[in-house]
Amino acid sequence: MQILIKTIGIGLLYLLYAYFCWLLVQIAWQYVPFQTNVAFLQIKQDVVPLWHYRMAFVVHVYATLLVLPAGFVQFNGYVRKNFTQIHRYVGWVYILVILGFASPSGFWMGIYANGGLSSQIAFCILALLWFYTTLQALLKIKNNDFSSHRNFMIRSFALTLSAITLRLWKTIFVYLFHPHPMDVYRLVAWLGWVLNIVLAEIIIFKLTKK
Amino acid sequence: MKTLTFVAALSSMLFACTEEKQNNKSANEIQSVKTEMAKPEMLKSYIGSFEAEVVNNHAKSPTYANKINVSVTSLKDGKITGYSLIAGNQQTFEGTYTVNAGKFDVKAKEPGTDKHDGRFEFSLDTIGKKVIGKWYSFDTTIDVTVRTYTLDEKTFSYDANLPLPEILVGMPFYDPKLEEAEGGRGEGITKDVLKVNPSVAQLSKAQVENMYKGDLEVLRNSIYARHGYSFRNRKMRYLFDNYADWYMPVSLNVENELTEIEKKNIDLLKRYENHADKYYDEFGR
Repeated sequence: MQILIKTIGIGLLYLLYAYFCWLLVQIAWQYVPFQTNVAFLQIKQDVVPLWHYRMAFVVHVYATLLVLPAGFVQFNGYVRKNFTQIHRYVGWVYILVILGFASPSGFWMGIYANGGLSSQIAFCILALLWFYTTLQALLKIKNNDFSSHRNFMIRSFALTLSAITLRLWKTIFVYLFHPHPMDVYRLVAWLGWVLNIVLAEIIIFKLTKK
Repeated sequence: MKTLTFVAALSSMLFACTEEKQNNKSANEIQSVKTEMAKPEMLKSYIGSFEAEVVNNHAKSPTYANKINVSVTSLKDGKITGYSLIAGNQQTFEGTYTVNAGKFDVKAKEPGTDKHDGRFEFSLDTIGKKVIGKWYSFDTTIDVTVRTYTLDEKTFSYDANLPLPEILVGMPFYDPKLEEAEGGRGEGITKDVLKVNPSVAQLSKAQVENMYKGDLEVLRNSIYARHGYSFRNRKMRYLFDNYADWYMPVSLNVENELTEIEKKNIDLLKRYENHADKYYDEFGR
Protein backbone atom coordinates (compact mmCIF):
# COMPACT_ATOMS: atom_id res chain seq x y z
CA MET A 1 0.00 0.00 0.00
CA GLN A 2 2.76 2.39 0.96
CA ILE A 3 4.62 1.49 -2.22
CA LEU A 4 1.51 2.21 -4.24
CA ILE A 5 1.09 5.66 -2.71
CA LYS A 6 4.76 6.36 -3.27
CA THR A 7 4.56 5.28 -6.91
CA ILE A 8 1.50 7.44 -7.52
CA GLY A 9 3.20 10.35 -5.79
CA ILE A 10 6.31 10.01 -7.92
CA GLY A 11 4.16 9.63 -11.03
CA LEU A 12 2.37 12.85 -10.20
CA LEU A 13 5.69 14.62 -9.67
CA TYR A 14 6.84 13.51 -13.12
CA LEU A 15 3.59 14.77 -14.63
CA LEU A 16 3.95 18.08 -12.84
CA TYR A 17 7.53 18.38 -14.04
CA ALA A 18 6.43 17.57 -17.59
CA TYR A 19 3.76 20.25 -17.39
CA PHE A 20 6.22 22.93 -16.28
CA CYS A 21 8.76 21.82 -18.89
CA TRP A 22 6.04 22.32 -21.46
CA LEU A 23 5.45 25.86 -20.17
CA LEU A 24 9.18 26.57 -20.40
CA VAL A 25 9.25 25.29 -23.98
CA GLN A 26 6.40 27.63 -24.78
CA ILE A 27 8.30 30.56 -23.30
CA ALA A 28 11.32 29.73 -25.43
CA TRP A 29 9.10 29.25 -28.46
CA GLN A 30 8.18 32.96 -28.39
CA TYR A 31 11.69 33.69 -29.60
CA VAL A 32 11.41 31.41 -32.65
CA PRO A 33 12.19 32.97 -35.05
CA PHE A 34 14.43 35.18 -32.96
CA GLN A 35 13.01 38.66 -32.46
CA THR A 36 13.97 41.30 -29.96
CA ASN A 37 10.68 43.07 -29.38
CA VAL A 38 8.66 40.33 -27.72
CA ALA A 39 8.04 38.95 -24.25
CA PHE A 40 10.89 39.46 -21.77
CA LEU A 41 13.01 41.34 -24.31
CA GLN A 42 10.33 44.04 -24.53
CA ILE A 43 11.56 45.29 -21.18
CA LYS A 44 15.26 44.73 -21.96
CA GLN A 45 15.48 47.28 -24.75
CA ASP A 46 18.37 49.08 -23.04
CA VAL A 47 20.65 46.06 -23.43
CA VAL A 48 19.16 44.42 -26.53
CA PRO A 49 21.47 46.50 -28.77
CA LEU A 50 24.49 44.79 -27.15
CA TRP A 51 25.50 41.87 -29.35
CA HIS A 52 26.96 39.92 -26.44
CA TYR A 53 23.75 40.26 -24.44
CA ARG A 54 21.71 39.05 -27.40
CA MET A 55 24.07 36.13 -27.81
CA ALA A 56 23.89 35.21 -24.12
CA PHE A 57 20.12 35.46 -24.27
CA VAL A 58 19.74 33.23 -27.33
CA VAL A 59 22.15 30.66 -25.92
CA HIS A 60 20.38 30.70 -22.57
CA VAL A 61 16.86 30.35 -23.96
CA TYR A 62 17.58 27.53 -26.39
CA ALA A 63 20.45 25.64 -24.73
CA THR A 64 18.73 25.47 -21.38
CA LEU A 65 15.94 23.41 -22.88
CA LEU A 66 18.44 20.58 -23.45
CA VAL A 67 18.97 20.40 -19.69
CA LEU A 68 15.33 19.60 -18.95
CA PRO A 69 15.22 15.92 -20.11
CA ALA A 70 17.66 15.04 -17.33
CA GLY A 71 14.86 15.52 -14.83
CA PHE A 72 12.88 12.65 -16.38
CA VAL A 73 15.56 9.95 -16.36
CA GLN A 74 18.56 10.78 -14.18
CA PHE A 75 16.94 10.37 -10.78
CA ASN A 76 15.16 7.17 -11.73
CA GLY A 77 16.92 4.16 -10.12
CA TYR A 78 15.48 1.77 -12.69
CA VAL A 79 16.96 3.72 -15.59
CA ARG A 80 20.31 4.11 -13.82
CA LYS A 81 20.54 0.38 -13.16
CA ASN A 82 19.19 -1.05 -16.40
CA PHE A 83 20.02 1.64 -18.93
CA THR A 84 23.37 2.88 -17.70
CA GLN A 85 24.26 4.12 -21.18
CA ILE A 86 21.21 6.38 -21.28
CA HIS A 87 22.13 7.74 -17.87
CA ARG A 88 25.63 8.51 -19.19
CA TYR A 89 24.49 10.15 -22.42
CA VAL A 90 21.81 12.31 -20.83
CA GLY A 91 24.26 13.13 -18.05
CA TRP A 92 26.92 14.27 -20.50
CA VAL A 93 24.45 16.50 -22.32
CA TYR A 94 23.26 17.93 -19.01
CA ILE A 95 26.79 18.66 -17.79
CA LEU A 96 28.20 20.00 -21.05
CA VAL A 97 25.22 22.22 -21.76
CA ILE A 98 25.31 23.74 -18.27
CA LEU A 99 29.08 24.19 -18.05
CA GLY A 100 29.55 25.30 -21.64
CA PHE A 101 26.43 27.32 -22.34
CA ALA A 102 23.57 27.65 -19.88
CA SER A 103 25.49 28.74 -16.80
CA PRO A 104 27.94 31.18 -18.47
CA SER A 105 25.11 32.77 -20.47
CA GLY A 106 23.02 32.98 -17.30
CA PHE A 107 25.88 34.72 -15.53
CA TRP A 108 26.28 37.20 -18.36
CA MET A 109 22.56 37.98 -18.36
CA GLY A 110 22.67 38.25 -14.56
CA ILE A 111 25.09 41.15 -14.87
CA TYR A 112 22.38 43.04 -16.77
CA ALA A 113 19.44 41.74 -14.72
CA ASN A 114 16.35 43.86 -14.18
CA GLY A 115 15.72 45.11 -10.67
CA GLY A 116 19.12 46.53 -9.79
CA LEU A 117 22.05 45.28 -7.75
CA SER A 118 20.07 42.89 -5.55
CA SER A 119 18.71 40.79 -8.39
CA GLN A 120 21.97 41.11 -10.35
CA ILE A 121 23.82 39.53 -7.43
CA ALA A 122 21.13 36.88 -7.01
CA PHE A 123 21.28 35.73 -10.63
CA CYS A 124 25.07 35.81 -10.78
CA ILE A 125 25.42 33.71 -7.62
CA LEU A 126 22.82 31.31 -9.00
CA ALA A 127 24.85 30.91 -12.19
CA LEU A 128 28.12 30.40 -10.30
CA LEU A 129 26.61 27.82 -7.92
CA TRP A 130 25.00 26.04 -10.85
CA PHE A 131 28.38 25.82 -12.55
CA TYR A 132 30.18 24.73 -9.37
CA THR A 133 27.73 22.02 -8.33
CA THR A 134 27.54 20.60 -11.86
CA LEU A 135 31.31 20.59 -12.24
CA GLN A 136 31.75 18.88 -8.85
CA ALA A 137 29.20 16.24 -9.83
CA LEU A 138 31.28 15.52 -12.93
CA LEU A 139 34.58 15.39 -11.02
CA LYS A 140 33.11 13.09 -8.34
CA ILE A 141 31.84 10.54 -10.84
CA LYS A 142 35.21 10.60 -12.62
CA ASN A 143 36.64 9.50 -9.27
CA ASN A 144 33.92 6.89 -8.89
CA ASP A 145 32.61 8.71 -5.82
CA PHE A 146 28.99 7.77 -6.38
CA SER A 147 27.39 9.24 -3.29
CA SER A 148 29.10 12.63 -3.68
CA HIS A 149 28.15 12.58 -7.37
CA ARG A 150 24.56 11.98 -6.37
CA ASN A 151 24.64 14.78 -3.79
CA PHE A 152 26.09 17.35 -6.17
CA MET A 153 23.63 16.36 -8.89
CA ILE A 154 20.78 16.86 -6.43
CA ARG A 155 22.14 20.36 -5.73
CA SER A 156 22.72 21.09 -9.41
CA PHE A 157 19.25 19.98 -10.41
CA ALA A 158 17.68 21.92 -7.53
CA LEU A 159 19.25 25.02 -9.09
CA THR A 160 18.09 23.96 -12.55
CA LEU A 161 14.57 23.81 -11.16
CA SER A 162 14.80 27.49 -10.24
CA ALA A 163 13.72 28.13 -13.85
CA ILE A 164 10.37 26.76 -12.75
CA THR A 165 10.20 27.80 -9.10
CA LEU A 166 11.16 31.42 -9.78
CA ARG A 167 8.29 31.81 -12.21
CA LEU A 168 5.93 29.87 -10.00
CA TRP A 169 6.66 32.05 -6.97
CA LYS A 170 6.09 35.13 -9.06
CA THR A 171 2.67 33.87 -10.14
CA ILE A 172 1.75 32.99 -6.56
CA PHE A 173 2.82 36.35 -5.14
CA VAL A 174 1.03 38.29 -7.84
CA TYR A 175 -2.11 36.27 -7.25
CA LEU A 176 -1.99 36.76 -3.49
CA PHE A 177 -0.65 40.28 -3.00
CA HIS A 178 -0.76 42.10 -6.32
CA PRO A 179 2.72 43.57 -5.73
CA HIS A 180 4.55 46.07 -7.91
CA PRO A 181 6.15 44.15 -10.79
CA MET A 182 9.78 44.89 -9.99
CA ASP A 183 9.32 44.32 -6.24
CA VAL A 184 8.16 40.79 -6.89
CA TYR A 185 10.96 40.29 -9.38
CA ARG A 186 13.63 41.25 -6.83
CA LEU A 187 12.06 38.89 -4.33
CA VAL A 188 11.82 35.85 -6.57
CA ALA A 189 15.34 36.43 -7.91
CA TRP A 190 16.45 35.14 -4.49
CA LEU A 191 13.52 33.03 -3.39
CA GLY A 192 13.51 31.15 -6.70
CA TRP A 193 16.71 29.26 -5.92
CA VAL A 194 17.58 29.71 -2.21
CA LEU A 195 14.63 27.62 -1.07
CA ASN A 196 15.53 24.99 -3.66
CA ILE A 197 19.06 24.64 -2.38
CA VAL A 198 17.82 24.45 1.24
CA LEU A 199 15.43 21.70 0.21
CA ALA A 200 18.26 19.94 -1.65
CA GLU A 201 20.41 19.94 1.51
CA ILE A 202 17.53 18.48 3.53
CA ILE A 203 17.08 15.72 0.96
CA ILE A 204 20.82 15.01 0.92
CA PHE A 205 20.89 14.95 4.72
CA LYS A 206 18.09 12.40 4.81
CA LEU A 207 19.62 10.22 2.11
CA THR A 208 23.03 10.26 3.83
CA LYS A 209 21.46 9.26 7.16
CA LYS A 210 19.95 6.19 5.50
CA MET B 1 -4.41 23.95 -59.57
CA LYS B 2 -1.18 25.26 -58.15
CA THR B 3 -1.09 28.03 -60.74
CA LEU B 4 -4.64 28.91 -59.91
CA THR B 5 -3.87 29.24 -56.20
CA PHE B 6 -0.85 31.31 -57.07
CA VAL B 7 -2.90 33.64 -59.25
CA ALA B 8 -5.52 33.92 -56.54
CA ALA B 9 -2.89 34.73 -53.95
CA LEU B 10 -1.27 37.27 -56.24
CA SER B 11 -4.51 39.00 -57.07
CA SER B 12 -5.51 39.15 -53.44
CA MET B 13 -2.15 40.72 -52.72
CA LEU B 14 -2.70 43.27 -55.46
CA PHE B 15 -6.15 43.92 -54.17
CA ALA B 16 -4.78 44.40 -50.68
CA CYS B 17 -2.34 46.95 -52.07
CA THR B 18 -4.97 49.00 -53.85
CA GLU B 19 -7.17 48.84 -50.80
CA GLU B 20 -4.37 50.21 -48.72
CA LYS B 21 -3.85 53.03 -51.18
CA GLN B 22 -7.51 53.86 -50.97
CA ASN B 23 -7.30 53.94 -47.23
CA ASN B 24 -4.34 56.28 -47.45
CA LYS B 25 -6.28 58.47 -49.78
CA SER B 26 -9.25 58.70 -47.47
CA ALA B 27 -6.87 59.40 -44.60
CA ASN B 28 -5.46 62.26 -46.62
CA GLU B 29 -8.92 63.53 -47.33
CA ILE B 30 -9.70 63.54 -43.65
CA GLN B 31 -6.45 65.35 -43.09
CA SER B 32 -7.39 68.06 -45.59
CA VAL B 33 -10.87 68.39 -44.13
CA LYS B 34 -9.24 68.86 -40.78
CA THR B 35 -6.89 71.55 -42.03
CA GLU B 36 -9.83 73.35 -43.56
CA MET B 37 -11.52 73.21 -40.24
CA ALA B 38 -8.45 74.53 -38.54
CA LYS B 39 -8.82 77.81 -40.45
CA PRO B 40 -12.46 78.78 -40.13
CA GLU B 41 -13.74 82.34 -40.22
CA MET B 42 -13.82 82.21 -36.51
CA LEU B 43 -13.20 79.55 -33.96
CA LYS B 44 -14.72 79.71 -30.56
CA SER B 45 -14.72 76.53 -28.56
CA TYR B 46 -17.04 75.83 -25.67
CA ILE B 47 -16.16 73.01 -23.32
CA GLY B 48 -18.14 71.25 -20.67
CA SER B 49 -20.06 68.24 -19.62
CA PHE B 50 -22.63 66.74 -21.99
CA GLU B 51 -25.06 65.17 -19.58
CA ALA B 52 -27.75 62.61 -20.10
CA GLU B 53 -31.22 63.88 -19.29
CA VAL B 54 -33.46 61.28 -20.87
CA VAL B 55 -32.10 57.74 -20.73
CA ASN B 56 -33.99 54.97 -22.47
CA ASN B 57 -31.82 52.08 -21.60
CA HIS B 58 -30.03 52.00 -18.24
CA ALA B 59 -29.27 48.31 -18.65
CA LYS B 60 -26.51 48.96 -21.17
CA SER B 61 -24.95 51.47 -18.74
CA PRO B 62 -24.50 54.27 -21.26
CA THR B 63 -22.02 57.03 -20.48
CA TYR B 64 -24.02 59.57 -18.55
CA ALA B 65 -21.58 62.44 -19.00
CA ASN B 66 -18.79 63.10 -21.48
CA LYS B 67 -16.77 66.22 -22.00
CA ILE B 68 -17.92 67.91 -25.19
CA ASN B 69 -16.29 70.54 -27.34
CA VAL B 70 -18.81 72.64 -29.24
CA SER B 71 -16.92 74.82 -31.67
CA VAL B 72 -18.51 77.61 -33.66
CA THR B 73 -16.80 78.25 -36.99
CA SER B 74 -19.04 80.95 -38.41
CA LEU B 75 -21.81 83.13 -37.10
CA LYS B 76 -23.32 85.68 -39.45
CA ASP B 77 -26.46 86.69 -41.34
CA GLY B 78 -28.59 84.56 -39.04
CA LYS B 79 -26.64 81.43 -39.86
CA ILE B 80 -24.33 79.37 -37.71
CA THR B 81 -21.91 76.56 -38.56
CA GLY B 82 -19.69 74.56 -36.33
CA TYR B 83 -18.79 71.12 -35.11
CA SER B 84 -18.85 69.11 -31.96
CA LEU B 85 -16.18 66.79 -30.67
CA ILE B 86 -17.02 64.18 -28.10
CA ALA B 87 -15.73 60.73 -27.17
CA GLY B 88 -13.58 60.43 -30.27
CA ASN B 89 -16.34 61.55 -32.63
CA GLN B 90 -16.42 64.75 -34.61
CA GLN B 91 -19.62 65.92 -36.25
CA THR B 92 -20.55 69.15 -37.98
CA PHE B 93 -23.72 71.12 -37.41
CA GLU B 94 -25.51 73.91 -39.26
CA GLY B 95 -28.40 76.08 -38.30
CA THR B 96 -29.89 79.45 -37.63
CA TYR B 97 -29.97 81.91 -34.80
CA THR B 98 -31.93 84.88 -33.56
CA VAL B 99 -30.53 87.52 -31.28
CA ASN B 100 -32.34 87.85 -28.01
CA ALA B 101 -31.21 90.13 -25.15
CA GLY B 102 -27.62 90.17 -26.39
CA LYS B 103 -27.48 86.39 -26.69
CA PHE B 104 -27.72 84.15 -29.73
CA ASP B 105 -30.57 81.66 -29.62
CA VAL B 106 -29.32 78.84 -31.81
CA LYS B 107 -31.10 75.95 -33.47
CA ALA B 108 -28.77 73.67 -35.39
CA LYS B 109 -28.78 70.20 -36.85
CA GLU B 110 -26.17 67.55 -37.40
CA PRO B 111 -26.20 65.98 -40.89
CA GLY B 112 -28.06 62.86 -39.79
CA THR B 113 -25.51 60.53 -41.30
CA ASP B 114 -24.69 58.96 -37.95
CA LYS B 115 -26.99 56.99 -35.72
CA HIS B 116 -26.13 59.34 -32.89
CA ASP B 117 -26.82 62.59 -34.75
CA GLY B 118 -29.35 65.05 -33.49
CA ARG B 119 -30.19 68.71 -33.10
CA PHE B 120 -28.85 71.37 -30.79
CA GLU B 121 -30.83 74.11 -29.15
CA PHE B 122 -28.69 76.47 -27.16
CA SER B 123 -28.17 80.00 -26.06
CA LEU B 124 -24.78 81.35 -27.04
CA ASP B 125 -23.52 84.16 -24.86
CA THR B 126 -20.39 85.56 -26.51
CA ILE B 127 -19.91 88.21 -23.82
CA GLY B 128 -20.49 85.93 -20.83
CA LYS B 129 -18.54 83.26 -22.78
CA LYS B 130 -21.10 80.51 -22.20
CA VAL B 131 -23.22 78.07 -24.11
CA ILE B 132 -26.27 76.65 -22.36
CA GLY B 133 -28.74 74.30 -23.95
CA LYS B 134 -30.02 70.91 -24.91
CA TRP B 135 -29.47 68.31 -27.55
CA TYR B 136 -32.13 65.95 -28.93
CA SER B 137 -31.31 62.82 -30.87
CA PHE B 138 -33.03 62.23 -34.22
CA ASP B 139 -33.35 58.54 -33.45
CA THR B 140 -35.57 58.24 -30.40
CA THR B 141 -34.61 54.59 -29.80
CA ILE B 142 -30.97 55.16 -28.85
CA ASP B 143 -29.87 54.88 -25.23
CA VAL B 144 -29.75 58.59 -24.45
CA THR B 145 -32.13 60.83 -26.39
CA VAL B 146 -31.78 64.18 -24.60
CA ARG B 147 -28.67 65.76 -23.18
CA THR B 148 -28.12 69.07 -21.42
CA TYR B 149 -25.00 71.16 -21.16
CA THR B 150 -23.50 74.33 -19.77
CA LEU B 151 -20.24 75.05 -21.57
CA ASP B 152 -17.48 77.60 -21.05
CA GLU B 153 -15.46 79.25 -23.75
CA LYS B 154 -11.90 77.99 -23.72
CA THR B 155 -8.89 78.39 -25.93
CA PHE B 156 -6.70 75.37 -26.39
CA SER B 157 -2.99 75.62 -25.89
CA TYR B 158 -0.57 72.80 -25.39
CA ASP B 159 1.35 72.86 -22.12
CA ALA B 160 3.75 70.03 -21.35
CA ASN B 161 3.70 70.88 -17.66
CA LEU B 162 0.01 70.20 -17.07
CA PRO B 163 -0.05 67.76 -14.17
CA LEU B 164 -2.25 64.74 -13.65
CA PRO B 165 -4.78 65.66 -10.97
CA GLU B 166 -4.06 64.28 -7.50
CA ILE B 167 -7.66 63.25 -7.14
CA LEU B 168 -6.94 60.35 -9.51
CA VAL B 169 -4.96 58.52 -6.83
CA GLY B 170 -6.99 55.64 -5.47
CA MET B 171 -9.52 55.95 -8.20
CA PRO B 172 -10.75 52.69 -9.73
CA PHE B 173 -10.66 52.16 -13.46
CA TYR B 174 -13.68 51.69 -15.56
CA ASP B 175 -13.07 48.28 -17.04
CA PRO B 176 -15.65 46.99 -19.52
CA LYS B 177 -14.31 43.44 -19.13
CA LEU B 178 -15.10 43.46 -15.42
CA GLU B 179 -18.43 45.20 -15.84
CA GLU B 180 -20.44 42.34 -14.40
CA ALA B 181 -17.91 40.77 -12.10
CA GLU B 182 -16.92 43.88 -10.19
CA GLY B 183 -19.52 46.43 -11.06
CA GLY B 184 -17.47 47.88 -13.87
CA ARG B 185 -14.50 48.62 -11.68
CA GLY B 186 -11.04 47.13 -11.90
CA GLU B 187 -7.60 47.91 -10.58
CA GLY B 188 -7.12 51.43 -9.23
CA ILE B 189 -4.64 54.21 -9.85
CA THR B 190 -1.71 54.75 -7.47
CA LYS B 191 0.36 57.81 -6.55
CA ASP B 192 3.04 56.60 -8.98
CA VAL B 193 1.24 58.57 -11.69
CA LEU B 194 2.18 61.82 -9.93
CA LYS B 195 5.90 61.02 -9.74
CA VAL B 196 6.77 61.67 -13.37
CA ASN B 197 5.52 63.71 -16.29
CA PRO B 198 6.15 61.94 -19.59
CA SER B 199 5.61 65.15 -21.58
CA VAL B 200 8.45 66.96 -19.85
CA ALA B 201 11.41 64.61 -19.64
CA GLN B 202 12.48 61.32 -21.12
CA LEU B 203 11.68 58.55 -18.67
CA SER B 204 14.27 56.02 -17.61
CA LYS B 205 13.67 52.32 -17.34
CA ALA B 206 14.14 52.55 -13.56
CA GLN B 207 11.30 55.07 -13.34
CA VAL B 208 8.73 52.86 -15.01
CA GLU B 209 9.75 49.25 -14.42
CA ASN B 210 8.07 48.98 -11.03
CA MET B 211 4.79 50.57 -12.07
CA TYR B 212 1.45 48.82 -12.42
CA LYS B 213 0.01 48.48 -15.86
CA GLY B 214 -2.88 50.83 -15.04
CA ASP B 215 -0.54 53.61 -13.94
CA LEU B 216 1.57 53.19 -17.07
CA GLU B 217 -1.56 53.48 -19.15
CA VAL B 218 -2.71 56.67 -17.41
CA LEU B 219 0.74 58.22 -17.80
CA ARG B 220 0.93 57.35 -21.49
CA ASN B 221 -2.55 58.70 -22.13
CA SER B 222 -1.81 61.89 -20.19
CA ILE B 223 0.48 62.76 -23.12
CA TYR B 224 -2.43 62.47 -25.55
CA ALA B 225 -4.70 64.36 -23.16
CA ARG B 226 -2.31 67.34 -23.02
CA HIS B 227 -2.53 67.57 -26.79
CA GLY B 228 -6.32 67.61 -26.63
CA TYR B 229 -6.90 64.13 -27.99
CA SER B 230 -10.56 63.14 -27.88
CA PHE B 231 -10.59 59.68 -26.30
CA ARG B 232 -12.62 56.93 -27.84
CA ASN B 233 -11.35 54.57 -25.11
CA ARG B 234 -13.98 54.75 -22.42
CA LYS B 235 -11.63 53.94 -19.55
CA MET B 236 -9.31 56.87 -20.27
CA ARG B 237 -12.08 59.21 -21.34
CA TYR B 238 -13.84 58.74 -18.04
CA LEU B 239 -10.73 59.83 -16.12
CA PHE B 240 -9.74 62.84 -18.20
CA ASP B 241 -13.27 64.05 -18.93
CA ASN B 242 -14.27 64.04 -15.30
CA TYR B 243 -11.15 64.78 -13.30
CA ALA B 244 -8.65 66.80 -15.34
CA ASP B 245 -9.98 70.36 -15.37
CA TRP B 246 -7.41 71.40 -17.93
CA TYR B 247 -8.36 68.66 -20.35
CA MET B 248 -9.99 69.91 -23.49
CA PRO B 249 -10.83 67.58 -26.39
CA VAL B 250 -9.85 69.31 -29.63
CA SER B 251 -8.56 66.65 -31.99
CA LEU B 252 -9.14 63.10 -33.21
CA ASN B 253 -5.50 62.55 -34.05
CA VAL B 254 -2.55 64.15 -32.30
CA GLU B 255 0.23 61.88 -33.58
CA ASN B 256 1.78 64.75 -35.55
CA GLU B 257 1.78 67.04 -32.53
CA LEU B 258 3.81 64.77 -30.26
CA THR B 259 7.26 65.95 -29.22
CA GLU B 260 10.30 63.71 -29.57
CA ILE B 261 10.39 63.19 -25.80
CA GLU B 262 6.75 62.19 -25.81
CA LYS B 263 7.19 59.75 -28.69
CA LYS B 264 10.03 58.03 -26.88
CA ASN B 265 8.08 57.87 -23.64
CA ILE B 266 4.98 56.51 -25.37
CA ASP B 267 7.13 53.76 -26.85
CA LEU B 268 8.71 52.95 -23.49
CA LEU B 269 5.45 53.03 -21.54
CA LYS B 270 3.65 50.96 -24.14
CA ARG B 271 6.32 48.27 -24.00
CA TYR B 272 5.98 47.95 -20.24
CA GLU B 273 2.20 47.95 -20.56
CA ASN B 274 2.30 45.16 -23.11
CA HIS B 275 4.68 43.17 -20.99
CA ALA B 276 2.58 43.64 -17.85
CA ASP B 277 -0.57 42.80 -19.71
CA LYS B 278 0.79 39.51 -20.95
CA TYR B 279 3.18 38.39 -18.24
CA TYR B 280 2.43 40.09 -14.92
CA ASP B 281 0.15 37.33 -13.65
CA GLU B 282 1.35 34.58 -15.96
CA PHE B 283 4.01 31.90 -15.60
CA GLY B 284 7.00 33.70 -17.11
CA ARG B 285 9.11 36.77 -16.52
